[in-house]
Amino acid sequence: MAQLATIAPYTAYKPRPFTRDQRGKTTILYGGLTWKHERLMQGALHNLKYNAEPLPNIARDDLDAGKELIDTGACCPTIFTTGSLVNFLKKEVAAHGKDQVNDKFIYLTAGACGPCRFGQYHESYSMALDGLGLRDFRLFLLAQDELDQGPANGGGLEINMPMSLGLIWSILCGDLLVDLEYMTRPYEVNPGQTDAVLKDSVEYMYEVFLHRPDRGKKYGTLAWHLMSNYFTKALREVRKKWDAIEVDHLRVKAKVKVTGEFWLQTHEGDGNYNIKRWLEQEQSEVVPPPVAVWLHYLLHPEIRKLEHRNSKSKHPQMQQMALQALEKIYRGTYNRFRKALANLPNELPDQVELKQLAEPFYHFELRGGEGHMLIGKALHAYHHKKAHMICELSPYSCMPNTMSIGSMANVLGKYPDLLYAPIEVKGDAEVHALSRCQMILTEAKKRAQAEFEDVMKKTGLTVDAIRKYEARHPEVKRATYKVPHLGYAGMAANYITHLARCGVGNA
Amino acid sequence: MRFPTLPTWFAKKLSVASPVKVKDRSQLRVGIPKVLNIWTTAQFWVGFLKALGVSSENIIFSSDTSEEQGREFGKGRGTVDCCYPVKCISGHYGELIFGQKKKINVLFSPMIHTLPSLLHGHVVDTITCTRVMAGPESIKAGFMKERDIFTENGIVYASPFVSLGDRHMVVQQMHDSLKDVFDLDLEETNLAVQAGFEALDAFTAKARQQSRDILNWCAQNQKPCILVLARPYHMDTGIGHEIEAELQAHGFPILWLQYLPGDGDLMNWLFEEDMRSGRIKSPFDISDVWTSSYSSNTNEIMWGAKFASRCPWITCVIRLSSYECGMDQPTYTPTQKIVEASRTLFFKFGDLDSTKPAGSIKIRVETVVHYMAKYSQEIMRSKLARLSPQCPLGPLQAPASSLPESEVPAGLHADNPPAVSAAS
Ligand code: SF4
Ligand code: SF4
Repeated sequence: MAQLATIAPYTAYKPRPFTRDQRGKTTILYGGLTWKHERLMQGALHNLKYNAEPLPNIARDDLDAGKELIDTGACCPTIFTTGSLVNFLKKEVAAHGKDQVNDKFIYLTAGACGPCRFGQYHESYSMALDGLGLRDFRLFLLAQDELDQGPANGGGLEINMPMSLGLIWSILCGDLLVDLEYMTRPYEVNPGQTDAVLKDSVEYMYEVFLHRPDRGKKYGTLAWHLMSNYFTKALREVRKKWDAIEVDHLRVKAKVKVTGEFWLQTHEGDGNYNIKRWLEQEQSEVVPPPVAVWLHYLLHPEIRKLEHRNSKSKHPQMQQMALQALEKIYRGTYNRFRKALANLPNELPDQVELKQLAEPFYHFELRGGEGHMLIGKALHAYHHKKAHMICELSPYSCMPNTMSIGSMANVLGKYPDLLYAPIEVKGDAEVHALSRCQMILTEAKKRAQAEFEDVMKKTGLTVDAIRKYEARHPEVKRATYKVPHLGYAGMAANYITHLARCGVGNA
Repeated sequence: MRFPTLPTWFAKKLSVASPVKVKDRSQLRVGIPKVLNIWTTAQFWVGFLKALGVSSENIIFSSDTSEEQGREFGKGRGTVDCCYPVKCISGHYGELIFGQKKKINVLFSPMIHTLPSLLHGHVVDTITCTRVMAGPESIKAGFMKERDIFTENGIVYASPFVSLGDRHMVVQQMHDSLKDVFDLDLEETNLAVQAGFEALDAFTAKARQQSRDILNWCAQNQKPCILVLARPYHMDTGIGHEIEAELQAHGFPILWLQYLPGDGDLMNWLFEEDMRSGRIKSPFDISDVWTSSYSSNTNEIMWGAKFASRCPWITCVIRLSSYECGMDQPTYTPTQKIVEASRTLFFKFGDLDSTKPAGSIKIRVETVVHYMAKYSQEIMRSKLARLSPQCPLGPLQAPASSLPESEVPAGLHADNPPAVSAAS
């Protein structure tokens, strides 16, 4: 056959291999969570002898850098994360040249099955790489639902049990520290002490992950992670550090549960107008969203049945049972870690309950973003009085979030007293977003105050009597003192009720 | 909270119908909003309902989208700002609830999770866009937030969650969600689902054959045609704004990517070189251009772009995209590059919204027509030169150049495309 004329067809980005022998001189870049999570993940990666570096925290100018290089109309998490990588690479190229950057770094990012752009993030990244003239730069995806993906693309990166478990465990520990942070800082007596102890705890846990013992590559390491007291012991040490923080739980704060799109709700920085810090400055206590809830959602066998619809497994029932066991172990592990921290961090919500709560409003099998969980979480907080208000962070033009926000209209019709602030985040309209939040927050604060006054009246306690009790029982002023949840959203109301039950009024 | 079923309707029927015809559904009126992926799956729903005994005249589709429809029936029902193909659904719901002379009994608005696709098995998945899937929940909220408008109007709201792309799932899904609505047993659900798929498959096969006939005609007459690269609902005159009809009025046959022929002979001819070089494993493999192949319509848009870049008679692609479409956003550059790699003309009509931008469409259409008239013959020639002479559409004559040699853009002979794309 005669040779036909050919063209150079468009070809999707495919990374060059990253080989085993390049590991020593290559740095893995990653990002997308909080600095606490990222530092612990770094410990887990260093432990496996990878060079690893989180990208600098997202800044406002990452938005412009991202916008410049990808097609218009992207959601802000896509733009921010692309921009962050772009700005990092630009700096490195300026300092060391393209070839060195291509060889020195790889970028590891989470991949997802994607009915939304989350599954297509890397398309934007690769477009940005094209724009930078860095098509030889290597970008790899880490599937979120497989613990052992084997050596990928040349063997330099082995996504095996030790790596996956290290990363998941570091995320869980990161979540627990974040929970401690947010429940303590609004009440700290000595300003800055929480942040200092937090930093110290993160560094301590980094070392813990760095020195994690090697227990093989398969089931030995799985068994060790599940059974060893290595991490619980370390977390008990962390608790001791937090003992030193003195808190004043009589401060009346509106409790604000932050929910929303995964990246946006987790992020702390310019990407979401630093809204968590802003809320704290506005006299509230933030209930931060743990990454662990997302992972729980991903592995819950009942919720995620659909993912196995085309499973070729010869033993589907066995597979289902294994998943059920895995889910129990996962929750059990989280609870074990919580216990080491005096059960202070919040429990993971029951996924089946979230599903049931959301059911009349949003089908649980609707995929994309947080799916039905946004509605489930809002109703969970409402029914269980876990927060005075919900602040839902929604990226402008996010596909799944717009749909669940739309469905929330139905929820609010049924529960008109649910305080709900959907905040659209574009990245560059801070004043507008925060003032919207402020409107609902004002009402939440009123509720917190009313709750406080109501409890004072009911218990007949006075501030003076409480202060005297605190002076005699300094342990109640420790950040690690567990104030039980006694039916109020606010910390102060629960604290007073608890003290009354302890007999403060009779003292 | 569960939606009310049809006990009242069936109770009424039972008292008047003969005892043997317990499930006579011939008088039941079912309204279907003609939105989103209903555009490529309508035959399934009609086939399904007809097999259950609902008569054809009682299956009512809402009209094409229009601003008037939104104003008259959807006003105040929107719950969130998003892309127009979803936002406009309130008007469709409203029209079915308030705009029928004879009231409907059931408002049937499926949540379609996966889609049947020619690419099934060659891509990671065939999921729909999140908004397509969840749109009904969000729109429903607008009719329930203050009062339950469905119940007030004696309408049962039925919104099955269905994985049409995974046929083995469908019977159970339909039965679970519709058993109370239509008083269904599993066996009749099974038969109705089968009937639905038969109707859909027959229609799709016919539509694909018609596309092949068009290509056949183009090949025999060496005439160009245009491929529309868009989502199914851009066929809606209120969403796609009939841009392709304006081009058709200039004498260019129009193909929609959803109904491109996928016959083996044609596919192997078009993708012969790609398979020979190992670039792809099958003509339906798109991993060479798009690795995150989860989304059905996105996958097909990518495949359509590849088809167009290889098929000689498709000398122009028009890309339609709605304002704020998150699924299209990452595909703009890749599709354009895929198409233009073979110098095929590419025109993007982006940011389509509720109002038809008639003036700018007119100008753009004139531009398309101009470029097509000027370059089509050369594009056909250069694309044919890259394919084997054994064309399955019959023996061909090389198209004569309509341009003097000096005016033929260099790109049509060499590897650099001429800058004739007009993406907006
Ligand atoms: S969930 Fe929304 S914001 Fe996040 S990637 Fe998907 S579309 Fe973007
Ligand atoms: S594909 Fe685009 S236009 Fe269609 S529903 Fe999704 S976001 Fe809207």
